[in-house]
Amino acid sequence: MTWLEGSTLGHLMRESGVWTYAVVNLAHILGIALLFGAVFVLDLRLLGVWRRVPLEDLARPTVVIAGSGFALAAMTGPALLATKATDYIGNPFLPIKLVAIALGILNIAVIHRLPAWKARANPDLGLSQRRQLAIAGGASLACWLTAISAGRLIAYW
Amino acid sequence: MYQRSLFIAASALALSFSVPALAHHGWGGNVDQVSDMTGTVVKGVSLAGPHATMRINAEGHDWDITLAPPYRTQESGLKEGTIPVGATVTVRGNRNRDAKRFEMKTVQVRWADKRFDVYPERE
Repeated sequence: MTWLEGSTLGHLMRESGVWTYAVVNLAHILGIALLFGAVFVLDLRLLGVWRRVPLEDLARPTVVIAGSGFALAAMTGPALLATKATDYIGNPFLPIKLVAIALGILNIAVIHRLPAWKARANPDLGLSQRRQLAIAGGASLACWLTAISAGRLIAYW
Repeated sequence: MYQRSLFIAASALALSFSVPALAHHGWGGNVDQVSDMTGTVVKGVSLAGPHATMRINAEGHDWDITLAPPYRTQESGLKEGTIPVGATVTVRGNRNRDAKRFEMKTVQVRWADKRFDVYPERE
Protein backbone atom coordinates (compact mmCIF):
# COMPACT_ATOMS: atom_id res chain seq x y z
CA MET A 1 0.00 0.00 0.00
CA THR A 2 2.83 2.37 0.86
CA TRP A 3 4.45 1.46 -2.44
CA LEU A 4 1.19 2.02 -4.33
CA GLU A 5 0.63 5.40 -2.72
CA GLY A 6 4.16 6.48 -3.61
CA SER A 7 3.88 5.21 -7.18
CA THR A 8 3.66 7.44 -10.23
CA LEU A 9 -0.03 6.62 -10.41
CA GLY A 10 -0.55 7.85 -6.84
CA HIS A 11 1.34 11.08 -7.54
CA LEU A 12 -0.64 11.67 -10.74
CA MET A 13 -3.92 11.17 -8.91
CA ARG A 14 -2.98 13.60 -6.15
CA GLU A 15 -1.31 16.26 -8.23
CA SER A 16 -3.45 16.65 -11.35
CA GLY A 17 -6.09 19.02 -10.07
CA VAL A 18 -9.03 18.99 -7.71
CA TRP A 19 -11.39 17.22 -10.13
CA THR A 20 -9.10 14.29 -10.95
CA TYR A 21 -10.45 11.92 -8.32
CA ALA A 22 -14.05 12.81 -9.19
CA VAL A 23 -13.56 12.16 -12.92
CA VAL A 24 -11.71 8.86 -12.38
CA ASN A 25 -14.37 7.86 -9.86
CA LEU A 26 -17.05 8.61 -12.45
CA ALA A 27 -15.30 6.39 -15.00
CA HIS A 28 -15.06 3.63 -12.39
CA ILE A 29 -18.79 3.81 -11.72
CA LEU A 30 -19.61 3.85 -15.43
CA GLY A 31 -17.50 0.71 -15.77
CA ILE A 32 -19.36 -0.95 -12.92
CA ALA A 33 -22.72 0.06 -14.42
CA LEU A 34 -21.80 -1.46 -17.78
CA LEU A 35 -20.38 -4.59 -16.19
CA PHE A 36 -23.20 -5.25 -13.77
CA GLY A 37 -26.01 -4.21 -16.10
CA ALA A 38 -24.87 -6.65 -18.74
CA VAL A 39 -23.94 -9.41 -16.29
CA PHE A 40 -27.31 -9.13 -14.55
CA VAL A 41 -29.24 -9.68 -17.78
CA LEU A 42 -27.06 -12.61 -18.86
CA ASP A 43 -27.10 -14.22 -15.41
CA LEU A 44 -30.88 -14.04 -15.18
CA ARG A 45 -31.06 -15.73 -18.57
CA LEU A 46 -28.66 -18.43 -17.37
CA LEU A 47 -30.89 -18.86 -14.32
CA GLY A 48 -33.81 -19.55 -16.61
CA VAL A 49 -35.56 -16.20 -17.02
CA TRP A 50 -36.61 -15.21 -20.60
CA ARG A 51 -35.99 -18.74 -21.82
CA ARG A 52 -37.49 -17.91 -25.22
CA VAL A 53 -34.68 -15.43 -25.90
CA PRO A 54 -31.89 -17.43 -27.56
CA LEU A 55 -28.90 -17.56 -25.20
CA GLU A 56 -26.46 -17.06 -28.04
CA ASP A 57 -28.23 -13.85 -29.13
CA LEU A 58 -28.14 -12.48 -25.59
CA ALA A 59 -24.60 -13.60 -24.86
CA ARG A 60 -23.06 -11.77 -27.79
CA PRO A 61 -23.86 -8.16 -26.72
CA THR A 62 -23.83 -8.73 -22.96
CA VAL A 63 -20.40 -10.39 -22.87
CA VAL A 64 -18.87 -7.55 -24.91
CA ILE A 65 -20.47 -4.84 -22.76
CA ALA A 66 -19.57 -6.59 -19.51
CA GLY A 67 -15.99 -7.04 -20.71
CA SER A 68 -15.68 -3.36 -21.66
CA GLY A 69 -17.18 -2.29 -18.35
CA PHE A 70 -14.80 -4.53 -16.46
CA ALA A 71 -11.82 -3.12 -18.36
CA LEU A 72 -12.89 0.45 -17.53
CA ALA A 73 -13.43 -0.37 -13.86
CA ALA A 74 -10.18 -2.36 -13.61
CA MET A 75 -8.16 0.48 -15.13
CA THR A 76 -9.60 3.17 -12.85
CA GLY A 77 -9.85 1.17 -9.61
CA PRO A 78 -6.12 0.99 -8.88
CA ALA A 79 -5.85 4.75 -9.54
CA LEU A 80 -8.54 5.50 -6.93
CA LEU A 81 -6.80 3.19 -4.49
CA ALA A 82 -3.36 4.70 -5.15
CA THR A 83 -4.61 8.21 -4.24
CA LYS A 84 -4.50 7.44 -0.51
CA ALA A 85 -3.61 3.76 -0.49
CA THR A 86 -2.42 3.70 3.12
CA ASP A 87 -5.86 4.90 4.26
CA TYR A 88 -7.24 1.50 3.26
CA ILE A 89 -4.91 -0.57 5.43
CA GLY A 90 -7.13 -2.55 7.77
CA ASN A 91 -10.30 -1.86 5.80
CA PRO A 92 -11.99 -5.30 5.70
CA PHE A 93 -14.15 -4.48 2.69
CA LEU A 94 -11.23 -4.06 0.30
CA PRO A 95 -9.99 -7.67 0.55
CA ILE A 96 -13.59 -8.93 0.40
CA LYS A 97 -14.08 -6.96 -2.81
CA LEU A 98 -10.83 -8.20 -4.36
CA VAL A 99 -11.58 -11.84 -3.50
CA ALA A 100 -15.10 -11.50 -4.94
CA ILE A 101 -13.66 -10.07 -8.17
CA ALA A 102 -11.12 -12.90 -8.38
CA LEU A 103 -13.90 -15.47 -7.87
CA GLY A 104 -16.01 -13.70 -10.50
CA ILE A 105 -13.19 -13.97 -13.02
CA LEU A 106 -12.58 -17.59 -12.06
CA ASN A 107 -16.28 -18.25 -12.60
CA ILE A 108 -16.05 -16.76 -16.10
CA ALA A 109 -13.15 -19.08 -16.89
CA VAL A 110 -15.18 -22.03 -15.62
CA ILE A 111 -18.27 -21.03 -17.63
CA HIS A 112 -16.25 -20.82 -20.82
CA ARG A 113 -15.09 -24.38 -20.29
CA LEU A 114 -18.57 -25.77 -19.66
CA PRO A 115 -19.87 -28.00 -22.47
CA ALA A 116 -23.26 -26.38 -21.89
CA TRP A 117 -21.80 -22.92 -22.61
CA LYS A 118 -20.06 -24.17 -25.74
CA ALA A 119 -23.41 -25.57 -26.87
CA ARG A 120 -25.27 -22.31 -26.11
CA ALA A 121 -26.35 -21.88 -29.76
CA ASN A 122 -28.38 -25.07 -29.38
CA PRO A 123 -31.95 -24.05 -28.43
CA ASP A 124 -32.71 -27.40 -26.81
CA LEU A 125 -30.19 -27.87 -24.02
CA GLY A 126 -30.83 -30.80 -21.72
CA LEU A 127 -31.82 -30.41 -18.10
CA SER A 128 -28.35 -31.08 -16.74
CA GLN A 129 -26.81 -28.55 -19.10
CA ARG A 130 -29.39 -25.92 -18.14
CA ARG A 131 -28.63 -26.67 -14.52
CA GLN A 132 -24.89 -26.18 -15.08
CA LEU A 133 -25.54 -22.81 -16.67
CA ALA A 134 -27.94 -21.82 -13.89
CA ILE A 135 -25.35 -22.61 -11.22
CA ALA A 136 -22.72 -20.62 -13.08
CA GLY A 137 -25.15 -17.70 -13.50
CA GLY A 138 -26.05 -17.76 -9.82
CA ALA A 139 -22.39 -17.86 -8.82
CA SER A 140 -21.70 -14.94 -11.12
CA LEU A 141 -24.49 -12.84 -9.57
CA ALA A 142 -23.23 -13.65 -6.08
CA CYS A 143 -19.65 -12.67 -6.96
CA TRP A 144 -20.46 -9.36 -8.61
CA LEU A 145 -23.08 -8.36 -6.04
CA THR A 146 -20.54 -9.04 -3.29
CA ALA A 147 -17.84 -7.09 -5.14
CA ILE A 148 -20.12 -4.07 -5.61
CA SER A 149 -21.47 -4.14 -2.06
CA ALA A 150 -18.04 -4.51 -0.47
CA GLY A 151 -16.68 -1.86 -2.81
CA ARG A 152 -19.31 0.65 -1.78
CA LEU A 153 -18.84 -0.14 1.89
CA ILE A 154 -15.11 0.66 1.70
CA ALA A 155 -16.07 4.33 1.98
CA TYR A 156 -18.03 3.76 5.19
CA TRP A 157 -15.40 1.95 7.26
CA MET B 1 -47.49 -4.09 -18.71
CA TYR B 2 -45.41 -1.33 -20.19
CA GLN B 3 -47.25 1.29 -18.17
CA ARG B 4 -46.79 -0.67 -15.00
CA SER B 5 -43.02 -0.97 -15.53
CA LEU B 6 -42.86 2.74 -16.21
CA PHE B 7 -44.76 3.46 -13.00
CA ILE B 8 -42.40 1.27 -10.96
CA ALA B 9 -39.36 2.90 -12.53
CA ALA B 10 -40.74 6.39 -11.85
CA SER B 11 -41.57 5.52 -8.24
CA ALA B 12 -38.10 4.11 -7.67
CA LEU B 13 -36.57 7.25 -9.10
CA ALA B 14 -38.75 9.51 -6.94
CA LEU B 15 -37.87 7.45 -3.87
CA SER B 16 -34.17 7.67 -4.56
CA PHE B 17 -34.38 11.46 -4.56
CA SER B 18 -36.35 11.59 -1.34
CA VAL B 19 -33.71 9.66 0.59
CA PRO B 20 -31.67 12.42 2.23
CA ALA B 21 -27.98 12.67 1.59
CA LEU B 22 -26.99 9.41 3.22
CA ALA B 23 -24.38 9.17 0.58
CA HIS B 24 -20.65 8.87 0.69
CA HIS B 25 -18.57 9.23 3.79
CA GLY B 26 -21.55 10.13 5.95
CA TRP B 27 -21.19 11.97 9.21
CA GLY B 28 -22.98 9.20 11.04
CA GLY B 29 -19.69 7.90 12.46
CA ASN B 30 -19.01 11.23 14.13
CA VAL B 31 -20.50 12.82 17.21
CA ASP B 32 -23.28 15.34 16.71
CA GLN B 33 -21.79 18.22 18.62
CA VAL B 34 -19.20 20.50 17.10
CA SER B 35 -16.05 21.22 19.09
CA ASP B 36 -12.82 23.13 18.71
CA MET B 37 -9.34 21.67 18.86
CA THR B 38 -6.02 23.52 18.70
CA GLY B 39 -2.83 21.86 17.54
CA THR B 40 0.16 22.04 15.24
CA VAL B 41 0.14 20.96 11.62
CA VAL B 42 2.04 17.69 11.15
CA LYS B 43 1.07 17.16 7.53
CA GLY B 44 -0.18 20.00 5.39
CA VAL B 45 -3.41 20.13 3.43
CA SER B 46 -3.74 17.58 0.64
CA LEU B 47 -6.35 18.27 -2.02
CA ALA B 48 -6.39 14.65 -3.19
CA GLY B 49 -9.82 13.02 -3.37
CA PRO B 50 -12.26 11.94 -2.20
CA HIS B 51 -11.79 14.42 0.66
CA ALA B 52 -9.09 16.97 1.31
CA THR B 53 -7.16 16.10 4.45
CA MET B 54 -4.51 17.36 6.83
CA ARG B 55 -2.98 16.03 10.02
CA ILE B 56 -2.47 17.95 13.23
CA ASN B 57 -1.03 17.08 16.60
CA ALA B 58 -3.45 18.06 19.34
CA GLU B 59 -4.32 16.84 22.82
CA GLY B 60 -1.40 14.40 22.68
CA HIS B 61 -2.39 12.63 19.48
CA ASP B 62 -2.07 12.95 15.72
CA TRP B 63 -5.52 13.72 14.36
CA ASP B 64 -6.68 13.08 10.83
CA ILE B 65 -8.53 16.20 9.82
CA THR B 66 -11.08 15.38 7.14
CA LEU B 67 -12.01 18.46 5.15
CA ALA B 68 -14.55 18.99 2.39
CA PRO B 69 -14.06 17.46 -1.09
CA PRO B 70 -11.04 18.97 -2.90
CA TYR B 71 -12.84 21.61 -4.99
CA ARG B 72 -14.90 22.88 -2.09
CA THR B 73 -11.91 23.06 0.21
CA GLN B 74 -9.94 25.00 -2.38
CA GLU B 75 -12.86 27.41 -2.89
CA SER B 76 -12.85 28.21 0.83
CA GLY B 77 -9.33 29.55 0.27
CA LEU B 78 -7.59 26.57 1.82
CA LYS B 79 -5.09 25.20 -0.67
CA GLU B 80 -2.07 22.94 -0.50
CA GLY B 81 0.73 24.94 1.07
CA THR B 82 -1.54 27.71 2.39
CA ILE B 83 -0.80 26.70 5.97
CA PRO B 84 2.83 25.70 6.65
CA VAL B 85 3.74 22.54 8.55
CA GLY B 86 4.34 23.42 12.20
CA ALA B 87 1.77 26.21 12.24
CA THR B 88 -0.72 26.37 15.08
CA VAL B 89 -4.27 25.94 13.86
CA THR B 90 -7.67 25.63 15.46
CA VAL B 91 -10.08 23.27 13.79
CA ARG B 92 -13.79 23.08 14.49
CA GLY B 93 -15.77 20.01 13.64
CA ASN B 94 -17.29 16.70 14.65
CA ARG B 95 -14.98 14.15 16.26
CA ASN B 96 -15.16 10.46 15.47
CA ARG B 97 -17.56 8.56 17.72
CA ASP B 98 -14.85 5.96 18.28
CA ALA B 99 -12.58 7.45 20.96
CA LYS B 100 -9.67 5.40 19.59
CA ARG B 101 -9.96 6.93 16.14
CA PHE B 102 -8.41 10.35 16.17
CA GLU B 103 -10.34 11.78 13.28
CA MET B 104 -12.47 14.87 12.92
CA LYS B 105 -14.84 15.86 10.15
CA THR B 106 -14.00 19.48 9.98
CA VAL B 107 -16.22 22.41 9.12
CA GLN B 108 -13.78 25.24 9.78
CA VAL B 109 -10.02 25.80 10.05
CA ARG B 110 -8.59 28.92 11.70
CA TRP B 111 -4.97 29.92 11.31
CA ALA B 112 -3.40 33.24 12.33
CA ASP B 113 -6.10 35.76 11.42
CA LYS B 114 -7.53 33.62 8.62
CA ARG B 115 -10.62 31.48 8.64
CA PHE B 116 -11.49 28.78 6.13
CA ASP B 117 -15.10 27.65 6.19
CA VAL B 118 -15.01 24.41 4.22
CA TYR B 119 -18.53 23.45 5.30
CA PRO B 120 -20.13 26.81 6.15
CA GLU B 121 -23.65 25.34 6.28
CA ARG B 122 -22.69 22.80 8.96
CA GLU B 123 -21.70 25.37 11.56
